[in-house]
Parts: sequence; C-alpha cells; structure tokens
Amino acid sequence: MLRYSLRRTAQMVVVVFGVVTLVFFILRLASGDPARMMNPPGQQEEIIQLTREKIGTDRPLMVQYWDYLLGLPQGDLGKSFHGGHPVLGELLKVFPNTAMLAVATILFSSTVAILLGIGAALRANGAFDRLVLVYVSVALATPSFWLAIVLVLIFSVHFDWLPAIDMEGPKSFVLPVLTLAVMLTPVLIRTVRQSFLETLSEDHIRAARARGIPEHRVILVHGLKVAALPLVTLIGLQLGMILAGSYVVEFIFNWPGIGKLTLDAVAGRDFPMVQGGVLVAALAFVIVNFVVDLAYAALDPRIRMSAK
Amino acid sequence: MTDLATAGISPEAVAASAPARTHILRQLLKRRTFVIGAAGLTIIVLIALAAPFLAPHDPMTQDLGKGLAPPFWAKGGSLDHPLGTDTLGRDVASRLMYGARNSLVIALFAVLIASVLGLVAGLSAGFSRGWWDPLLMRFGDVQLAFPFILLAIAILGVISDRSAVHLILVLGIPTWILYARVVRSRVLAERDKDYVLGAKSIGASRMRQMWRYILPSVWSAVLVIAMLDFGFVILLEATLSFLGFGLTPPTPSWGSILAEGKRNMIISPWLAVLPGLAIMLTVLAINMTADGAADVLDPKLKISVFRRTPLKKPANATWTDLEGRAAASTRSQPVATKDEMGPPTLLEVSDLSVEFPLPDKVVKAVRHVSFDVHRGRTLGIVGESGSGKSVSAFSIIQLIEPPGRVTSGEVLFEGRDLTRISNYDMAQLRGIKIGMIFQNPASSLNPVLSIGSQMVETIRLHLKVSPAEARDIGSQALLNVGIGNPQAILSRYPFQLSGGMNQRVMIAMAMLTRPDLLIADEPSSALDVTTQAVVLERLREITREHQTSLILITHDIALVAEFADEILVMYAGQVCEVGPVRSVIDDARHPYTRALLQSVPRAEIESGKRLQAIPGEPPDPAELPPGCPFADRCVSVMGICRQVNPSQVRVRPHHDVACHLWSSDKDEEKV
Repeated sequence: MLRYSLRRTAQMVVVVFGVVTLVFFILRLASGDPARMMNPPGQQEEIIQLTREKIGTDRPLMVQYWDYLLGLPQGDLGKSFHGGHPVLGELLKVFPNTAMLAVATILFSSTVAILLGIGAALRANGAFDRLVLVYVSVALATPSFWLAIVLVLIFSVHFDWLPAIDMEGPKSFVLPVLTLAVMLTPVLIRTVRQSFLETLSEDHIRAARARGIPEHRVILVHGLKVAALPLVTLIGLQLGMILAGSYVVEFIFNWPGIGKLTLDAVAGRDFPMVQGGVLVAALAFVIVNFVVDLAYAALDPRIRMSAK
Repeated sequence: MTDLATAGISPEAVAASAPARTHILRQLLKRRTFVIGAAGLTIIVLIALAAPFLAPHDPMTQDLGKGLAPPFWAKGGSLDHPLGTDTLGRDVASRLMYGARNSLVIALFAVLIASVLGLVAGLSAGFSRGWWDPLLMRFGDVQLAFPFILLAIAILGVISDRSAVHLILVLGIPTWILYARVVRSRVLAERDKDYVLGAKSIGASRMRQMWRYILPSVWSAVLVIAMLDFGFVILLEATLSFLGFGLTPPTPSWGSILAEGKRNMIISPWLAVLPGLAIMLTVLAINMTADGAADVLDPKLKISVFRRTPLKKPANATWTDLEGRAAASTRSQPVATKDEMGPPTLLEVSDLSVEFPLPDKVVKAVRHVSFDVHRGRTLGIVGESGSGKSVSAFSIIQLIEPPGRVTSGEVLFEGRDLTRISNYDMAQLRGIKIGMIFQNPASSLNPVLSIGSQMVETIRLHLKVSPAEARDIGSQALLNVGIGNPQAILSRYPFQLSGGMNQRVMIAMAMLTRPDLLIADEPSSALDVTTQAVVLERLREITREHQTSLILITHDIALVAEFADEILVMYAGQVCEVGPVRSVIDDARHPYTRALLQSVPRAEIESGKRLQAIPGEPPDPAELPPGCPFADRCVSVMGICRQVNPSQVRVRPHHDVACHLWSSDKDEEKV
C-alpha cells in the first residue's frame, strides 16, 4: 500500500510538472509581449521596457522558468502582472467558491442521474426509459453556454425568481448548478443505466431473488453496490473537471472561482495567474483521480484484497 | 466543459468485431434514428453550402438604422429580415447560414486531422513491441485526464489574430487519442490472429498486413468515432467562440453570434436563442446519425444513446400481467393442502410453455412440458444446452430472464399455481419453500459482499434473529455442508474461495430455511471432477436428511442415473422421455435418450459398447420444424417424423415417451 501510494505520488508529480511546463512555454512562445499589452498603444519603448523589468519578462526564458520551478515547492507561484498580488493568495481566495459549486453540482447531478438511470434500467424500453433517453440525447447536444442564457432569460429576466449573476446566497447556486447538471447528467445517466442493466442480468442478482430477498433490497443493495463501481470513476472525473474551473458557467454567471480567474488572466496576458489556474486544474485532476482509486478499492473487495 | 473522456466514447468498450458488410446501407435505412439524423444533417449541410444563394443579405453588411429588428413572427418583424437583425443591423438569418459554413468546415477539418493522427498513432502503437506503445498511451492518458479546453483557451487566448487554421489545429490535434486507443486495440486484437500470422508466414509485408487485414476492421470504428467527434468539436468550437477565443470578429460563427446576442439578451432574446438552437439541432442530428451508424457498422462500440436492448416487453411485464390475472381468478386458493393419501406430489407442472419474444422472431424455449415432483424424491432433468431444461426450472420460481414469459400451463406447488400468484407471494415462497442453486457458484454470490453478510441477510430475512445469532446459524449451516472452518469462510468474499467451496456455501444458503423443494441447475458442471463428487454427495445427504425434493438439472445423464429417482429427458423445449430412473436407463425408448446413454463413459450404464457422439445440431428454437425436432439427427427417422410432432405415449408404468416408433397408430394425426 505504501509503495503504491509512493508510486502514485511520483506519477502525480510528473503529470503536474509536465502540464505546468507545457503551459509555461506555450504562453510565452505563442503570445505577444504582455508588457506592451499592459501599456496604452503608442507608449514609449523605455516605459514598456520598465514594465518588462517590473514583471520580469526581460530576463531570458530559461531563467524565468528556473525561477518559477524553484518557487513552486515553496508555494511561491509568482506575482500577478496586474497589481502584483501573490498568485497563491488569489487562488486560495477564489478556490472555495469553485469547490462549493463543484460539490453542490456533483451531489445534485449524481442523485438525479442515479434515480433516472435506475428507473430507466428497471423498465428498459418502457415509456420512462425512452423519455430519459430523449433527455440524454438532447442534453448531450445542448451547448451549456446557451442553456445558461436561456435559463437566465426564463428564471431571472422573465420570472425574476433567481439572481442572474454573482455568488450571493443559496439562491445564486440554482442556475449554475442546473446548467452544469445538464452537462454532466447525460453521461452519468447512461453509465448508471448501462451498468444497472448489466448488473441486473448477472447471476448473483437472480440468485438473490431466488433466495427470496425483496426486490427493493435486490436493487438497492445487491444491484447498486456492484453497479455503482463504474460511477465512482466517472463522478471523480467530473468532480475534477469542475474543480479545475467550469469556465463557461463561471464566465456566464460571473462566478468568482478558478475558472473565471483563469479566463480573465488569459484575456489580460497575466502569465503567472494563468499558470496558477492551470496548476490548480492539474492538481485537482491528479488528486481526485488518486482519491477515486482509493475509493474504488474501498468499495470493491476484489481490488482491496489484491492491493494488500 | 465537456471533456474528451466524457464525450461518450469509451475505448475499453471496444473489442474487435467484424462488422456485417452485407447490405450496410439497407440496414442503416432501417434505423429510424439514423434516417432522422442523416436527413437533418443533410439539410443543414445543404443550407450551409447554398448560403450565398439562400442568404437574403450579406452577413457582413451593416445597417445601423435597422439594428435589433425582431424576427418575422414577433411584433414589428418583417420577412425582409426573417430572423431579425443584430445590433449592427446585420441580418441574423444570413449570419447563421454563413456561420454554419465556418462551424462545419472547422469541425470537419479538425476531425480529419484528429482521425489521421489517431489512425497513424494507433497503428504504430499497435504494431510496436517496444517502448513506443507505452509511451504514446501513457501520454494519451495524461492528456485525457486533463481539461483540454483549458489548454485550448490558453493557446487561443494568446494568439491575437485567430484564423480558421488555428482553430482547426487546436481542436483537431488533441482528440487524436480517442481514435488511437480504438485503433490500437483493434490492431492488437487482429495482430496475432491466425490469418494475419498466416499472411506473415507466407511473406506478406507489414504494410500489406495492415492494408489487407487490419484496416478493414478499423475503418468502421474510426468512422463512428469521427462522427461523434464531429458533434463534440462543433460544440467546443461554439464554446470557444462564445468565450471570445473563436474566429476573430466580424467573421460569423454560431458561438460568436451567440456571444454578441448575450449582450442584448434582455431586449432581443432571439439573438442568443436562435444560434444555440442551430447548434443544438446540428449536434443532435450528428449524434443520431452516429448512433444509428454505430449500431450497424460497429455494434461492439458501445456508445449508443438510442440503441435499445433487444427487448420487446418491459422487464416485469410477465409478473404484472400475471398479478392482474391472479387477483381476478385465484381469490380463494386452497391453502397448501398436504396430500396425506396416495402419491405425495409436491410440484405439478402441466402444459408449461415459455417463449422469448425477440424483435424479429419468437424463441420457443419450452413447449407444453409436464412433470411431477414427489416429496422427498429427486427428479433429474437432462438435456443439452438450449433444450429448455433451465428455463423450465426458472419458470417454476418465476425467474425467467426478460423478455421471456410463460405462455401456457400451470405450475402447481402445494395447490397454488405459481404462474398466477402475485409477485409478493412468489417472493415469500422463494428462499423459504423453494430454494435454488446455480451453475456458476462464484458468480451467483454477490462479488462485493462477504459470504457472512450475504448469509446473515438471507437468515434475517426469514428468521427474527439478531445479526450475531444469524451468524451462528450461518456458521452451523456451513458446518452441515462440510465446511470445517466456517468462521473464517464467513468473513471471506466469493472471489477468495474455490468453486467447490462457493457451491457448498450456495447449498448451505439454499438449505437454511429447510425448503420443501430445491432446484439445482447444473450444480456441478462448473466444478472439477473431484469437487463435483464431494458437492453432489453433500447435496444428496442434506436433501435426504430434510426430506427435501430435488430437481437436478444437468446435461450429464450419468449423473441423473446415479442421483435421481425419476428422469425427464428434454430436447428442443420438449419432453422426449420421462419415467422412473431404472426404467428409463435400462429400457430407454426414445432414440435421443439412447443416443445420450451411448455417449456416456460409465460402466454401470452400458459396458462393452463404443462411445458415440450424437451427430448434427439441435434445431433453431425460433424456427422449429413441424415434425419431431429430433428427426434430423435420429437414426430411426421415418416419414411421419418430419410432418407430425409426436405426442407422449405410455410404454411402461409411469414411463412415457414422445416418439412415433412407439405410438400405436402412426398414421393418425393425434394419439
């Protein structure tokens, strides 16, 4: 178990390192001069040069990279080009907002998906199943940014029930969570349905019925315990995705989270902030994946026992 | 944002498959989803192609005096601008049509790049036996795990003048991995198949192997993935445009039209709603096309949203139907009248038929089968796989796999017809009065629950005891089936035990409630020979001890000869021969029973005779011949056998046989 964790940690470090490096160089090679961007057009070259020195882009690329790498283990992610705040502080300030959105979304989506998926699987090809499948295919084709706008038009503009933007109180979660849920649920529902159909046709389900175990226990205990396994991976993946910043939703709803911060930073050529956003995304992914693997082992004795 | 890994394509689900090449187009046209999707997609593509002729205005022409005109159906709208105008007075309908061109072309080229890259990477990884394959796949894993839209944003965000080429590259390159994985798994599956190795041994070059043998099994998968990828890329391109990272304005694309519309969405909501609808309908059409095509081109690619499991009836239709009938007809059932006098019959099955309606045919699994099970006796049901023996048994406890259903007959157990009692009452009988053990003991136990928790659950279901008491009872039950260390076994999981051990656990669980009837479906065929004997011996002891009636289902007539009191031989869903075991074994009348006996290497049955296999195959249960189903394989076949299905005739006391050889009037239609 210890060796496994060590190996996984090493893998995670490699992945994070790779992503951070990639983004570091892409930003600097593909982009124009941020110092020039930060100054009004037609600014004197000397002043632009002063800006370069201030934000440190005057130094050779490898020196900048080396400095950045040295800073990382100490939690020094550099300072924002705009305003000079430490990137880490800014990230920590907005991360809880993204985390709250992520947790609310995952709880809501997985509950809905499990209920709909089981319902569909139990009456495969029945009216309910067909209805759910229509929802799945329409939701898969729906652009999330468009859905967000339509929801705002209906619930904020027309009925004035819910706030259209900003994070203020529990009501402001409704529209972002709904939008994200329509993105996440189609794949979840399909997985639940498929997994349940497969599980329900397994021998042990029939054997459980043959032992006289009541149908609700057969489904909710014997079925769900087995059928839920593929879900764990998927839910983890989706959690990682929202934690990394749900760019579209945070953008539209002006949600003060990682995604909005990163988008603003890209638009403003704020390299250290973009790198910070990407680092959070990479970390969120590898850590959630690791936790998912642990959870998988905890849920499935076949894996748990073989890991010992 | 929608990510690669959640785009609905799971490479693990992809196994090698040879798609049916015949009449692909005709099959495609039979799928409603495909036809609707393809038709929709064709219309959209035609509109995009014909945009210069169809569009009422130039998409770039501004007319500030006519800004934000509503669409024609709203108040103040006109047909001059059918979908209204935007802030700059540009015609929305025209912009949408031209936007379709940009969106579709970008997506098309992105998909082309991705599929070519993926194909090359997948082929090279599949053929590589060195470091290249793991490196490429590991890299793909990392890429799949990362939110790729973030990279796209980071790259596109810093390019100041974005052209279609930029978007095509950024959208196209990263999706290579979806193709590469599937292609690689196909190559691996095909690479070592005999025919490819054969081609190699006669000197076909590697390139030739690829073109001739491997690509055909790859192309259909790539095509299907490309179609799904197409929809995904359109969504992604729209998202990027919406966020401001798409084509540099004023070039229209659906996402950018929507983004502009968002600014004025309060006063003119159609500006935001219409392009979104266009995107949604397009992606929906693409997904439907891909799903329909996947069914036909590559059924193993499990991506289908629309595909249905091949069922005609909802899972529990039989039960609910029967519940209704039960409520109407069997209100005043005699409650388990025990037949003290005469022959003590526990179970009386008469005229039982079971059908499995499939989309294009009906499989008649069991046809007019009748038999009795007597108290404390063992009935052996023999037949080859597909003969309907297991289905008959499952229909006793109403556990036929859907869409199977009982179409005729009665199953009288202690005076109650089990085909007509309610679902609830049936559940009360299962596990208490009727127990069952299965062919594959390991898969018949829940893989993620310990033996102990499954036993405790079963015990507490039937007895009001505490979990600790239940554990003691379970432990005792395990001792009774000859498990020496029950406490240790209770805390184990099924995968940790041998097949024989699992089967003994199953027997112990089935016997917990001292059922009157135990159904054993091939209880020993998944076990090795020495374990078989042990398990069957336990089964015999424990059923004798508790005077339990046993239905022993097996393909092994020797086993039945040894363990059963009565024997029932089934073939193609029908009873061939039934009777007391000695009478049937010693004086088998049906040619099939005789053939079975001759195929068994057991000294006590036949000695000095050569073993004989039965030539031929049983008939397709969906297309049964009008005559005797065994006629084609029968050594004594007569003319009548192919025309009339024989009825049962009594040849000895309690010994019936369904064969024209023994019917007294062979020329009559019915006996």
